[in-house]
Amino acid sequence: MSLTIHARNLKRYYGNNRAVDGIDLEVPSGRIVGLIGPNGAGKTTALKAILGLTGFDGELEVLGQRPDKERDRLMQDVCFIADVAVLPRWARVWQVIELTERLHPRFSRERCMHYLKNTKVKQNSKVKALSKGMVVQLHLALVMAIDAKLLVLDEPTLGLDILFRKRFYSNLLNEYFDEERTILITTHQVEEVEHILTDLLFIKDGKLVLNATMDAVHERYCEVMVKPERVEEARAMKPIHERVLFGRHIFLFDGGDPALMKDIGELHRPSVADLFVALMGDEYDNHQQEEAA
Amino acid sequence: MSSIGTLWTLMRRELWESPGAFKWAPVILIGLTLFFTIFGLILGSRFDNEMAFTLDAIRQFAASPADQRRMFMTGALFASSALFFQILILVIIFYLSSCLYDERKDRSILFWKSLPVSDRMTVASKLLTACLLAPAVYLAAVIVTQLALLLIATGYGLLAGVNPLTTFWLPASLPRLWSVMAIGIVIQAMWLLPIYAWLVFCSSWAPRVPILVAIAIPAGAALLQHTWSLLSSFSLPEFNIGMIILKRLGSGILPTNVNFNINSSGGNTDFTDIRFGDELFMSFSNSFDYLTRPEMWIGVAIALALLAAAVWFRRRATDS
Repeated sequence: MSLTIHARNLKRYYGNNRAVDGIDLEVPSGRIVGLIGPNGAGKTTALKAILGLTGFDGELEVLGQRPDKERDRLMQDVCFIADVAVLPRWARVWQVIELTERLHPRFSRERCMHYLKNTKVKQNSKVKALSKGMVVQLHLALVMAIDAKLLVLDEPTLGLDILFRKRFYSNLLNEYFDEERTILITTHQVEEVEHILTDLLFIKDGKLVLNATMDAVHERYCEVMVKPERVEEARAMKPIHERVLFGRHIFLFDGGDPALMKDIGELHRPSVADLFVALMGDEYDNHQQEEAA
Repeated sequence: MSSIGTLWTLMRRELWESPGAFKWAPVILIGLTLFFTIFGLILGSRFDNEMAFTLDAIRQFAASPADQRRMFMTGALFASSALFFQILILVIIFYLSSCLYDERKDRSILFWKSLPVSDRMTVASKLLTACLLAPAVYLAAVIVTQLALLLIATGYGLLAGVNPLTTFWLPASLPRLWSVMAIGIVIQAMWLLPIYAWLVFCSSWAPRVPILVAIAIPAGAALLQHTWSLLSSFSLPEFNIGMIILKRLGSGILPTNVNFNINSSGGNTDFTDIRFGDELFMSFSNSFDYLTRPEMWIGVAIALALLAAAVWFRRRATDS
């Protein structure tokens, strides 16, 4: 299996700010990787390094090439949607399509038109006259019409309504993704992507705090809704997180004996969002309290 | 081959992005020139009963010696192009100073950088748009205007009963006129290349209003130099940055192309040797002379260095 992304001790400092602080990463092809982290954790900087949009220290190869040195060649095999609304606002839709067709050797106009068929995007509209959702539809149609090996999506659905977000991800999964491709997504709307991810990366203060496949995550972490009379017992088992919902205590455990846990309460698979809160949330809260004080 | 295709696509993008500068401005200039010509003719005919004077003048012109006719026709047509090429320079200055800035400001750089196009190619496309494509568009507008003016003249010629072909069209020496202008704008672009490259360079990194940055830096440097020179030796500096830049802008080839500094030496311009004839502006050697000047090639070298720096900044630029 060939590696799509290979990073060793990847670093990017802005003065004293360690935006990315020594990341090790190996992403093989055929994965959908979620890069999740709080604001300012270094997600965007890491993506920019991968896309050749910023310099870096350490080792980084994307599809066997150095992104900072060979961005133009790399972009034949890599597509990205960096945030919403970066299509040129002065252009008309047909101009954007024609430019992409002429500048990208792997672009298929037919496929782009196929994706645009069911949208309200008109060929002669100016990009600045389109709604936010329509711009994303257009951009996604452009990107999905490119036969790329790596697709990077940075907050692709920011500010879009839920109907559109659902369709976005189902299109991505059903019409685009296959064994040959890799998709790397960052988003705040964790609950929407967790069903499609194969790999999970948590990033905090420029470091990876979790780097595992979803299967491994589900094996390792388990959530137990504990009967009220056994709360103390559960606490003694060193949970990594505890929360209270409708008067019931919910504990998150890293590893542990499944039989024992079944005994003290109901076993669940933790959601990525709960795991996220457990692994970084508390400190984030503390930090905010410190700031407030 | 494919890189030429890419370059051409990128240059077409520039035309799409700035239709005001590259499409509507020349169209408006054609309209204005023709409007004022026709307005003048109509106004003239009010004072000229049955156009007797006008037709008489045309008949006299048709009878004048061939070299005079040639000089008048080429001179008039050349003059009609002056406004176009002056506006062109202004358009290019504004276009280049924002060419690498706008994409950073509206964040579309993130889209352009997602395409397999190198930064060098991008910068080259902007510069070639300014040096070749925009002049070609304006030259086409000039040609349209001149043809329209000649058609108007043809109408008057027929009214006056003279042969419009020998009176107007042949003396206009159109192939030569247009090739002199075409070569002139290319060589002028080379001559102004250091200034163009400076604008591209500024637009590649300026945090805001790149045109002001591009003007303020040399203006500030010249001012400092003057101040220092006055304070230290009570004299103006001999090697004067501001004057060098202004002189270069002022001694371009077009629009007027009249080479008055041909005999200038030591600041004194000698007009006595100049023979007024169409050779003054209709000669190719005026333009080619520029290629033999060392300043031309020093300028090109400075331009290449500035462009390399612009490519360096473009490679590092993102939306923030």
